[in-house]
Amino acid sequence: MTVSDRQRSLQSSMHDMGLTEEAIERRKRIVGLEPADLGRIAAVKDVVARGAEEFMATFFEFLSKLDEARPLVTSHGLLDRARQLKKAHLAAMVQGEYGTRYVEQRLELAQLYARAGLEMLVFLGAFHHLLRAIGSAIMKQFERSPMEGFENFMSLQKVAFFDIGIIVDVLVMERERTIRQQEEAIRELSTPVLQVRDRMLLLPIIGVIDTHRARLITESLLRAIRANRAKVVVMDVTGVATIDSKVANHLLQTVTAARLMGALVIVTGLSSEVAQSLVALGIELSKINTVGDLQGGLEEAERVLGYRLLRNGDALPPPTMTEN
Amino acid sequence: MSAEIRVPIEHERDIVTARQRGRELAAANGFSSTDQTLVALAISEIARNIVSYAKRGEVMLLALEETGRRGIVVIARDEGPGIADPELAMKDGYSTAKSLGVGLPGAKRVMDEFKLETQLGKGTTVTMKKWVR
Ligand SMILES: Nc1ncnc2c1ncn2[C@@H]1O[C@H](COP(=O)(O)OP(=O)(O)O)[C@@H](O)[C@H]1O
Ligand SMILES: [Mg+2]
Repeated sequence: MTVSDRQRSLQSSMHDMGLTEEAIERRKRIVGLEPADLGRIAAVKDVVARGAEEFMATFFEFLSKLDEARPLVTSHGLLDRARQLKKAHLAAMVQGEYGTRYVEQRLELAQLYARAGLEMLVFLGAFHHLLRAIGSAIMKQFERSPMEGFENFMSLQKVAFFDIGIIVDVLVMERERTIRQQEEAIRELSTPVLQVRDRMLLLPIIGVIDTHRARLITESLLRAIRANRAKVVVMDVTGVATIDSKVANHLLQTVTAARLMGALVIVTGLSSEVAQSLVALGIELSKINTVGDLQGGLEEAERVLGYRLLRNGDALPPPTMTEN
Repeated sequence: MSAEIRVPIEHERDIVTARQRGRELAAANGFSSTDQTLVALAISEIARNIVSYAKRGEVMLLALEETGRRGIVVIARDEGPGIADPELAMKDGYSTAKSLGVGLPGAKRVMDEFKLETQLGKGTTVTMKKWVR
C-alpha cells in the first residue's frame, strides 16, 4: 500500500466511524481533557520523550509473554509497523495536539491490532503496563513535589483514556464487521433452490434482500430452471420485512426472465404490509402471480403442472387414454 | 427529548441498517406495523439514492413529540452532486439511472411531510416526517 493509499483508507475509516472534528471534540469533553491539561502535559514532555524506548519495550515485552498476542509479535511486518506507530504515539501523546491527525494515527494502530486479532483484554493489559511505566518515571522526576507529578500524570492519563476509547471502538467495530461478513456468507449460501417435484422448484427467501443478494437469487434460480427444465417456480418471501423499489425491480425482472425460459413464477408469503408499501410506491404488482401462503402456492403450482389432489377415499378419475 | 440516531450511509448494508433503525424507532413510538413498513421503505429509497448518486452521506432519525401527536422525522443528507431539476426528479418514472424512478415521489407519498432541498454541486437534503395515526 502506498502512503497516499494508506491515507485514503484511513480517511474513509474515520468517516465510517463518524470521527468528525465535532465527534473528536466530544470525545475530549467526555474524558475531561481541557486546555488546562495541556500545560501539565507539556511539563512531562521531556520525561516521556527520554523514556520512550523503554516504555515501548515494556508494552511489547508484556505482549510477547502472552500466547494471545502471538500473531502480532511473530509477524515481523506487523510488529515492525506496530513499534513504529507506538513510538510515534508516545511522541504525539505529549505534543498537545489531539485533533484529526492524532486520531488517524490511533486508528491506524488500532486497525493493526485488529488485523493481528489482538483481544481487547490483552491490549488493555499491555496499555496498563505502559502507563504504569510512564507514571513511575513521572513520579521519579517530580519526587520533590509529588502532588504536581500526580496531577501532571492525571492530565496525561486523560489522553490515554481518549486513546483507549478510540482503540476499543475500532476493535469492537472490526469484530462486528467479521460477524457481519460471516452472516453474509451464510445468507448467500442459504438461498437454495429446491426441487419439490419434477419440473417444480421452490425458492424460499428468508431475511434481508439487498440488491447483491437479489442478483444472486436471480442467477441461481435461472440456472436451476435450466438444469431442472422447470415449468413452475414457487418463490416464497415470508418474513421479508422490506422490499424497496430497486429490489422489487430485481424480483420483477427475475420473474420476467423465468417466464422467458418457460417457467411460471408464483410468489407466496408477501406480507400485506409489504404489498401495501409496494403499491404506495407505485410499483405494478399485477404482472406477478401471488398466492397468499406457501401451501396455497405449492397447490397452485401442482395444478399448473396438471397434478390433481385427491383425498383418500375419493374415487379415482377415469384414466385418460394415451397412445404409445 | 430522545437522542437522535445517526447512520452513516456509504455501502448497501448501511441502507439496511438505516431502515431497520427507522423501523425500530417507529415501533417504539407507537406506529402500526403497516406504517413501520412505510417508514422503512421511505428510508430505504432515500438512503439508496445517497449510495447511488452521492456515494456517501448520512441518515438521521429522531422521534418527535408535539402537543397531541407523536411522530418521527428522517433527515437524509449528502454532499453529492445535487439534482439539476428537482421538480422533474419528483415525477414518477423519472430516473437518470434507468431505474424505476419512484424513489423520491414514492417516499413523498408514503410519508406525511416531505421536503427536498438540493443545490447543484453542493448536495441534497431530504426531510420527511410521519405522524402516528
Ligand atoms: N441524493 C441524490 N443526489 C443526487 N441525485 C439524486 C439524489 N436522489 C435522487 N437523485 C436524482 O433523482 C432521480 C430520481 O430519483 P428516484 O425517484 O429515487 O428514482 P431512481 O433512483 O429510480 O432514479 C435520480 O435518478 C437521480 O438523478
Ligand atoms: Mg431511487
